[in-house]
Amino acid sequence: MKKVLLLLIVFITSFGISSTLVIKGSNTVFPIAQLWIEEFKKIHPDVEVTLEGAGSSTGIAALFNGTTDIANASRWLKNEEIQKMHEVGKYFIPIVIGYDGIAIIVNKNLNIEQISIETLSKIYTGKIRYWNQVDPNLPKKQILVYSRNTASGTYETFEKKVLNEENMAPWVRMVESTQFEIQTIEQNPYAIAYVGVGYVTEKVKVLKIDGILPTKENILTGKYPISRPLFMFIDATNGYPESGLIKNYITFGLSKRGQELVEKAGYVAAYGF
Amino acid sequence: MLRNIKYFFQMLLIFIFALTSIVALFFLIFFILKESFPAIKELGKEPFTNIYWYPTSRKPEFGMLAMIIDSLLLTGFSATFVIPIGYFISFYLHTYSNPKEKKYIKSIIEILSGVPSVIIGMFILIYISPLLLKLEIWSTENFLLASIGLMILSLPYTISLMTESLDSVDKSLEESSLALGVNKYKTTLKVTTKAAISGILNSIILTINRIIGETMVVLLVAGGAAMIPSSIFDPVKPLTAAIASEMGEVELGSLHYHALFLAGLILLFISMVLTVLSKRFTRRWKR
Repeated sequence: MKKVLLLLIVFITSFGISSTLVIKGSNTVFPIAQLWIEEFKKIHPDVEVTLEGAGSSTGIAALFNGTTDIANASRWLKNEEIQKMHEVGKYFIPIVIGYDGIAIIVNKNLNIEQISIETLSKIYTGKIRYWNQVDPNLPKKQILVYSRNTASGTYETFEKKVLNEENMAPWVRMVESTQFEIQTIEQNPYAIAYVGVGYVTEKVKVLKIDGILPTKENILTGKYPISRPLFMFIDATNGYPESGLIKNYITFGLSKRGQELVEKAGYVAAYGF
Repeated sequence: MLRNIKYFFQMLLIFIFALTSIVALFFLIFFILKESFPAIKELGKEPFTNIYWYPTSRKPEFGMLAMIIDSLLLTGFSATFVIPIGYFISFYLHTYSNPKEKKYIKSIIEILSGVPSVIIGMFILIYISPLLLKLEIWSTENFLLASIGLMILSLPYTISLMTESLDSVDKSLEESSLALGVNKYKTTLKVTTKAAISGILNSIILTINRIIGETMVVLLVAGGAAMIPSSIFDPVKPLTAAIASEMGEVELGSLHYHALFLAGLILLFISMVLTVLSKRFTRRWKR
């Protein structure tokens, strides 16, 4: 009986000492949060962090009912969410943690340097099927269109920024990984794909969109059209957290190392440019 | 008395283990039914009439017809090659090979059947799709490659099942046929095959069942475009690939989530129909 009691006490205290940070939300931000947590735990070994990626909406909903400390989001608040904030008397603040830029890539040997958003949208919605429709100098070959699968955050951004609420053509290939897209483009002279800028290698050609290359500067200044900021939302109803776990986590994320990890995850760092 | 108790406990143990698997099966079916029910209620017959699968767009469409057709076409195409080839190989193994040869071929087939499907998928992507580029076929993930993968995967299965059913035929039947002066070829083709027909039909159905449920190969090499192919170089997306590709990140409880379970239900239904058919054949032809 004594032993059981002792065990119980140890069990309870061990839970009491270690504090838990709960993070939920966007799948796009997920890889960043994963890297952050890995390093964050090295600095604060007694902290438990749980991370869940179930979409931006899920994260913000969890922030409303208090089941998460931090909501990762790859989009701004919706109107209904702002209204609900007023109704329940809560105040969420966004923290920009990085930018997600999408590069359009083709094979090195394809004689094309730039493309317009409209043409791109026509290729993906299926109104253009041959390369010579894009540019008469290009061969009359079918365009092999590659996209990430619908589960990917990159897909969400692309859909929103390029497709104009139209659906992709049924023959667009939905593939499972960005690596696969890049390998395909390296080998296949008539394929086109889009990838997060962090994944681009020297073996593929990045197209200019309306004359603008997806460089870090162009993404950060907002010149490059297919990019978006990534956020963390926190509940600041009682003021911005001045100490504690949430504050430490944010500080780490915005530190030099944290921003390096944003780049490592394939995105553009928001700070320190 | 002690023996009785021991016996009772042994039986109880066996009974519990048997019950676990049965209960697991029922729970599985119940779970899939429960999770797909909202999709059935909400979508009605849309999945079976619409060919457009846009589960995440602003005006979502949940047509699975293209994917069902993809699944069936892939299965049909692969099976039409695998079944005859499998039959001829097992024909050879049964009729002409000497015991040593048979042993070696069989163990090779067993090893081949143990190769994980993801390895076969990667093999096709890395070694066979670049060959297509050399032939100036630019569509490097397509129906044909998926079908080749499914054939590699299911052939060993078909061969071992068919060889077994040919081997299980009573020797005296063949011997009497041979004694009447019929040659080996005719004997296996007309006598043994006829006697083993229930086993052969069974192995055909099990092969089809295996092909239709295969996921990894089609996920990797079929191209992932939910369209009805008009040539063997068009990309396709069977139901299994859709589930594997989208289930990981789908929002829990959304219509998309339930629709994916509906896709699972369709696959389960096809598989059950095939299993029941195979049982039927076995019973009918045994008599």
